[in-house]
Order: sequence, then structure tokens, then C-alpha cells
Amino acid sequence: MNEKNSETDKNVDVAKAEQSLGRLFEMYRDMAVKADSVMQSRCPYKDADSRCHAKFGCRNQFFTNDPTAVPVCAGSDLIDYKEAWDN
Amino acid sequence: MTITHEGLAAEFEYVTRLGERKHISDAIDGTAAIMQEMAYSLIVGDNTEVDRLTLEALNSGFSANQILDDGLLNGMAIVGVKFRDNIIFVPEVLVAARAMKAGMAHIEPILSASGADPAGTVIMGTVKGDLHDIGKNLCIMMLRGAGFTVHDIGVDSSPEDFIDAVEEYEAEVVGMSALLTTTMPNMGRTIAAFEDMGLRDEVRIMVGGAPVTQDFADEMGADAYGENAVDAVDRAKDLVKLLEELKSS
Repeated sequence: MNEKNSETDKNVDVAKAEQSLGRLFEMYRDMAVKADSVMQSRCPYKDADSRCHAKFGCRNQFFTNDPTAVPVCAGSDLIDYKEAWDN
Repeated sequence: MTITHEGLAAEFEYVTRLGERKHISDAIDGTAAIMQEMAYSLIVGDNTEVDRLTLEALNSGFSANQILDDGLLNGMAIVGVKFRDNIIFVPEVLVAARAMKAGMAHIEPILSASGADPAGTVIMGTVKGDLHDIGKNLCIMMLRGAGFTVHDIGVDSSPEDFIDAVEEYEAEVVGMSALLTTTMPNMGRTIAAFEDMGLRDEVRIMVGGAPVTQDFADEMGADAYGENAVDAVDRAKDLVKLLEELKSS
């Protein structure tokens, strides 16, 4: 912690911070519940632009000519995505 | 409403429910430019920028409370709305949580120094042979949100990786994840390795993952089974409490 940060310690309202962290936990909890629901039908490694963020191989991964780009997901949400995953 | 940051103003347009628009705009209204930039950087998952802006805000005299509420939480509130409404998905949520962690890395020591203790220290990893990390990463997000200090040792983690991390960070809890039935037995091998090293009584071990069940956890000799990320937090709290009781008796 730098010198300036040490000075700000005196300004911390711990009760308020705990309340804020409680709010953060509530947000995370809602997101975790939603994630469980989304994962029933949509691969959790697929982002909003259908790019794949898996660190493992999957038959739905479509690699473009750009070697630095993450692969695109060519899978359908109508088919069980786990079937395409490599072990 | 005054959202001066162009990017944040655009992100706010994803909030369409009237009550939420009012609640979030009230929270952002009148906040400093640096806080709006921080909220925007968190939404887009730019952890480097959140790290830099948090430090800059602290050095400029903003309090930890202001940074937490006006910057980090305002950003995460919009992330939550976008995820709920299927505008973003799990990968975007996890990068936003990583950005949150970058900011919290500066805030937590200040809160700690002011008397807010962490809930405990947890080592999280996916077992040897398994590269699936979404479940583990969601658990880590939840545990951090609940005030735990979490060290992520990543995927394909050997028993030695878990043991080394426990010793290095003096962790109370180990969380192991597996998605494949073929890698599940590595949970038992890791627990056996802790026993062989004489460390089993020093640490509590919880397991989870899609194919894992309470029966399997019992059979492997785990201390707890987390059915999902929310459950993992409750189990970790129970285990820390149990360990404290054992140590004090």
C-alpha cells in the first residue's frame, strides 16, 4: 500500500463497505444462478459474439485465418454442446 | 441524468426496466469522471484499466467506499442486467469479475487495515487431466464476492500443485473441480496426497463439478460437496468455521 492509500484508511466507513460487499455478493449470486440456467442450453464457453473461450478442443471450434484470434463457435444451441467437447 | 462518459452512457442504454434505470442512473448521476471511466472499464472487462484507475483514484484522494460504490459496483450492476437479459454471456461475466478483482486488489488491503477481515483463504483448481474451468471460475467469482481470498491454480492441476499452493498461501480450504468422469478419481488421489504429506488435518477439502455427487465426495474422503457456485460459498464458510473450532479445541 502506498503512502496516499494509508491516509485514506482513516476515511473508510467499514460498515458501509460491508454493505457494498453484500450488494456485490447478491449480484454475483444472481449471475451464478443465471449461469446455471443458461448452461442448460448454451455452451458456457461461447461469448456474445459466438467466440469460443475454451482451453480444450471442441469439434464446434472454427478457426479463422487469423492465428491470434480465438476460434468461432459453429455449434447450434439446439444440440447438446457437450457432445462436441474433446476430453 | 448526467452520465458524461460516452461509453458508459451507451452501456446504460442496455438497462431498459424503468425501476432499474432510475436506480442505476441515481447511483451514477454526479459521480466523478474517473469513476464513470472505471465503471465502463469494468463492464468491458478491461482489468488493466480498472487496476490503473483504482490506483489513480486512491492517489487522488477518493475513498475506498467511493471507488467501491461509484466505480466498481455501478459497473457490475450493468453487467448483471446485461447478463440477465442475454446481451452478454458467461465469458463476458467472468472477464468483468476479473476486472473487479483487479480493483479489489487495491481496496481489500485498505478494508483489512480498517478491521474488515477476509472470510478465509481458499485454493481452487481443476484436477489433473481436466481442462474445463467454467465451473471453477464461477465458484471463484462467488467466493471472492463473499470475501474469501482465493488463489486460482488453474486447470490440469496435480496433487503437488494443490499441496504447494496450500503451503505457500496457508489456505484453510481447498476446492477441487472436475467435469469428466475420467478425471474425477484424481480428486481422491489429491486427497490421498494430502494424507501422505501429513497435511490432511491442516486443511478442509471440498469438491464439485457436473458429474460429482455427495456420495462420490464421501467415498473420496472429501469434507464437503458443493452442488453449484452458490452452494460452494456456504460449504467454504462451514469448513472455515469447523477448522477454527478444531484448532481452538
